[in-house]
Amino acid sequence: MEKKSKPAHRTRSPDGSARDRVDSVDPYGFQRSKDFDYESYEELMSEYLVVLTRRTIKWSKLLKGKRRVQKNVKLKRYVRKGIPNEHRALIWMAASGALDQLEKNPGCYQSLLGAEHDPKLVETICTDLNRTFPDNIQFRKTANPCMQKALYNVLLAYGHHNPAVGYCQGMNFVAGYLLIITKDEEKSFWLMDALLGRILPDYYSPAMMGLKTDQEVLGELVKVKIPGVWQTMMDHNVMWSLVVSRWFICLYIDVLPVETVLRIWDCLFYEGSKILFRVALTLIHHHQALLQQAQSLPDVCQNFKQITHGPFVEECHTFLQKIFTEPGSLSMATLSKLRATCRTRISAEEY
Amino acid sequence: MSRKKSAKGKAATSSPSAGSPAGKGVGKTARSSPGIVQMNGVIHPSRPSISNSSEFYDIAFKVMLVGDSGVGKTCLLVRFKDGAFLAGSFISTVGIDFRNKVLNIDGVKVKLQIWDTAGQERFRSVTHAYYRDAHALLLLYDVTNKSSFDNIKAWLTEIHEYAQQDVVLMLLGNKADATHERVVKREDGERLAKEFGVPFMETSARSGLNVELAFTGVAKELKHRSIKDPSEKFKLQEYVNKEMKTTGCCRS
Repeated sequence: MEKKSKPAHRTRSPDGSARDRVDSVDPYGFQRSKDFDYESYEELMSEYLVVLTRRTIKWSKLLKGKRRVQKNVKLKRYVRKGIPNEHRALIWMAASGALDQLEKNPGCYQSLLGAEHDPKLVETICTDLNRTFPDNIQFRKTANPCMQKALYNVLLAYGHHNPAVGYCQGMNFVAGYLLIITKDEEKSFWLMDALLGRILPDYYSPAMMGLKTDQEVLGELVKVKIPGVWQTMMDHNVMWSLVVSRWFICLYIDVLPVETVLRIWDCLFYEGSKILFRVALTLIHHHQALLQQAQSLPDVCQNFKQITHGPFVEECHTFLQKIFTEPGSLSMATLSKLRATCRTRISAEEY
Repeated sequence: MSRKKSAKGKAATSSPSAGSPAGKGVGKTARSSPGIVQMNGVIHPSRPSISNSSEFYDIAFKVMLVGDSGVGKTCLLVRFKDGAFLAGSFISTVGIDFRNKVLNIDGVKVKLQIWDTAGQERFRSVTHAYYRDAHALLLLYDVTNKSSFDNIKAWLTEIHEYAQQDVVLMLLGNKADATHERVVKREDGERLAKEFGVPFMETSARSGLNVELAFTGVAKELKHRSIKDPSEKFKLQEYVNKEMKTTGCCRS
């Protein structure tokens, strides 16, 4: 798929000055697209930097150089308000249990890399190496350190660690983000293990049952919470897989802006896969009027793409507040029940 | 994968398609082409633009790109849609997506809704639900990748199971510009295509070789079928044989 470009959502003509002040490569190594709106980005960042500074001070006080954190109400609140980038790897590791696993299994990652490799797995992974973030300078073949090599290692080790899953497209993007944040292969590996092994349902296994289930579950939630949109989907015969499979498989990578994705992942590692539904429901709920205007299946698809762009998702701090209010209550009990029902239904249809 | 409300089992998972499922159609006669009748095609009358996904057109068809991961499905589509090839600018396709292009075929505006799919095997259980109402399938392999060629038979089985019986099918050997890395001979592709009675040619998204022709050929075939003009004879393989360029030429 072609890299999408961020739309210039404000029509003011740039005077060039913001472009001079803002780097053409973002802090994570992604090159900003040609039509990137530097002006509104600068405007946005001037507000967000105040938030970030305030949060950084609070987090520094909370952590005081600690390497371990206890999960509690206060920490959860802190996480929802955003983890400063310098603490992200630590908090993700601690909250997801990846840190425990790493400490319990010293040398495991290295020995997986040292073991004999499944040539089929190697080939499948290699097909995607050049197709993972070609717009990120760290992922170029010539970059030093070479993230592509690290990506290969993490995916290969994970594929051998969890042969039932092996490698599934989408995992390349997830591992890529983990490497960008942790800058460490072994940590990225154990975070993959936490995500795929405990946090997410089986999205990536060959039957993709968890993915199919969660798409249906989202449909059921929309049916109850945003019935107008559900009706539009029915009217135009749109399967949920068409519009949301990438949302789940890529955990919003390349769907939403980088900073927003990272804020979502903060909560994902702490609170679990429920967050993915909160994000989806917020996007759909907030844009229900637009979504209901669709006159055809292509319109529906187009609108579902459109709602992942623009100020609403770029203003990540506000967006993250919205996901906890806009969709209303969403209990884990409800989710588990819906997952069980949908899974049964899909199994019955497939066999 | 999501299913529509009434879907109970595979057989019912029919048409997730463009508004009018095969057989029902939009009952009005298309503008400027009174001769057009509905076959199993999705035929819409031309209408004013509502969103940027619609342009004026007389008939519309759904075309799907299928084949192993990394054979160049997205590149082929982008080359056809935008006339561009940007080496190393693509990310792997996850899930399914589509783009539209309107072609002028002998005075008839034919809209192709071209669906691009993830190639990895496990995604097939998500994507094959979309085969059913496809009017044409372009099945790709990569001439520099033997296993993508070996998997063509498996793809054909998959297609026969899930697509409509009269779906227009074409086999494409992509990356034909890569002469040094080539491992699948042109003759091998031809032989396989003959064995299964499928039109065939080699393409290159990089150079543009036969890319336009692949889509135009399919559009002509679909238009021919839907118009059912007895005075007009059209054979897809004959047409592409006449028009296609081989790897010696640099542009199609």
